[in-house]
Amino acid sequence: MLEISGISKTFHSGTPNEVRALQQVDLSIEDGSFVVVIGTNGSGKSTLLNAVAGTFIVDTGTIHLAGHDVTHWPEHRRAQLIGRVFQNPFSGTAPDMSIAENLALAARRGQSRGLGWALRGDFRSVMSERVRCLGLGLESRIDNAIGTLSGGQRQALTLLMATWLRPQMLLLDEHTAALDPKSADQVVRLSREVIERDHLTAMMVTHSMQQAASLGDRLVMMHRGRIIHDFRGAEKRRLRPADLLARFEEVRRGEQLDESAAELLRRAYI
Amino acid sequence: MTLLLGALTIGLILSLLALGVFISFRIFSFPDITADGSVTLGASVTAILLVNGVHPLLATGAGFCAGMLAGALTGILHTRFKINGLLSGILVMTALYSVNLHVMGKSNLPLLSTRTLATEAEGLATFVLGGTTEIGVLGWEVSPRDAAVLILVFAAIVVAAGLLYAFFRTNLGTAMRATGNNDQMIRALGVNVGNMIVLGLAVSNGLIALAGSLLAQYQGFADVQMGIGMVVWGLASVIIGEALVGTQQLGLVIAGAVMGSVLFRLLIAIALRAGLNPNDLKLITAGFVFLALILPNLLGTLRRRRAEA
Repeated sequence: MLEISGISKTFHSGTPNEVRALQQVDLSIEDGSFVVVIGTNGSGKSTLLNAVAGTFIVDTGTIHLAGHDVTHWPEHRRAQLIGRVFQNPFSGTAPDMSIAENLALAARRGQSRGLGWALRGDFRSVMSERVRCLGLGLESRIDNAIGTLSGGQRQALTLLMATWLRPQMLLLDEHTAALDPKSADQVVRLSREVIERDHLTAMMVTHSMQQAASLGDRLVMMHRGRIIHDFRGAEKRRLRPADLLARFEEVRRGEQLDESAAELLRRAYI
Repeated sequence: MTLLLGALTIGLILSLLALGVFISFRIFSFPDITADGSVTLGASVTAILLVNGVHPLLATGAGFCAGMLAGALTGILHTRFKINGLLSGILVMTALYSVNLHVMGKSNLPLLSTRTLATEAEGLATFVLGGTTEIGVLGWEVSPRDAAVLILVFAAIVVAAGLLYAFFRTNLGTAMRATGNNDQMIRALGVNVGNMIVLGLAVSNGLIALAGSLLAQYQGFADVQMGIGMVVWGLASVIIGEALVGTQQLGLVIAGAVMGSVLFRLLIAIALRAGLNPNDLKLITAGFVFLALILPNLLGTLRRRRAEA
């Protein structure tokens, strides 16, 4: 489904602020797999998602998605294959437009947009039904502006929008990080439901060890722009938040020797 | 009465300008100065075609299309060449000044003995009324020409505003509004944001050029200076309109822009009648827009202070 091979991305190249966000990352995701990505701050986990989404074009390497070489596709073109939910609840919806209009926009994700009416009668009934399925009671407020909704409600709607047309790939970028615990649980539940119901292939970045341990069938741990662990199957199922924290502790201890010192030691002793 | 009719007619004509400015400023939050040039562009293209005997409807349509091209050019400078939005508009506006002079061949082109939409309207009125020279409206005597022009302009504005409203409810128009509202979101839904901005500015400047074209035909000349300060006029109309309707609802906002333009023009006519020096007009307009822009913030601060006290 998704085939990432040898991608690298360096931001602010050649300046003192140079960040090597991705370094030769390889990742292959099978159809229907739900991959959770965790990592320390600045490890490149969101950058990896953005590379797939096309927010920027990678420096090296290739990205294949659903049989297309999307490496050089602009973001809006990749949108026909990809559904996204952002970290910021304000990013995924148009606040001054109504719930109905936002959904109508999502219903044509990646398709041509002509002079047909955006909100037709038959679409409205489908829409209320699917909004009711969210269980947030928003079906009666379908003509209200999104700006009047809470962060949790917006994220739930963004999720509905991202999956309105079945995406080849669903990208969730820390989509519960900005929510209160109750809303976060709700959005996680909805995410899990839609992924299971539609058998979606998904990638989710998270900071929550709890989510990382309980969600998905595969877990990828990133550090300094590389993938350092890849847990699958039974190994993934056995993982507990404590195990993940232990792995992070391991990484942290390794960090205490800085890279040049490590290089020196390696030369001296190996 | 003639004064009032004139103010109404010009206010209605310039409501097309207000609608154009509404698209660029309010929908895209794009400070599009191209308007100053495209008002004149619409006027000059229409005027030169009329002088050369082209049918008024065709000439007006050509003015509209010329404006669309100008707007698209600004959009392309901004989206393809990554030039700052304000600067893109300034570049095109500046270039249009020379273009307009070339189109007209001189700085002022009179349309006095030419067939225009205004003379067509007059012809229509004579045909309907059979040569009456004065008609009574609510006890006032008005010339059939003024009345006919006003009615036709009103009809044209209703059609234009209706079309615009309908357009913004289509799939394409909804995507365009979303582009201005949240470009990150609409990109993630597969819309090419650059193309939307180019198209939006084209429609915006098309309407603005149409305003220029109609204005030239109404006042009987096109002048290379006639566009100066028009952006601020349009903005003033949009702001008054928003204050009048007090909502974000699309249909009402569009109607508000039209009403704002008419009201603004009436206020100016009254002020001029009361002895305002015409030279001060632009200064006062700019001052008014300045006040309208800072007033919401100012009121908010005052209210907060009062709440704290």
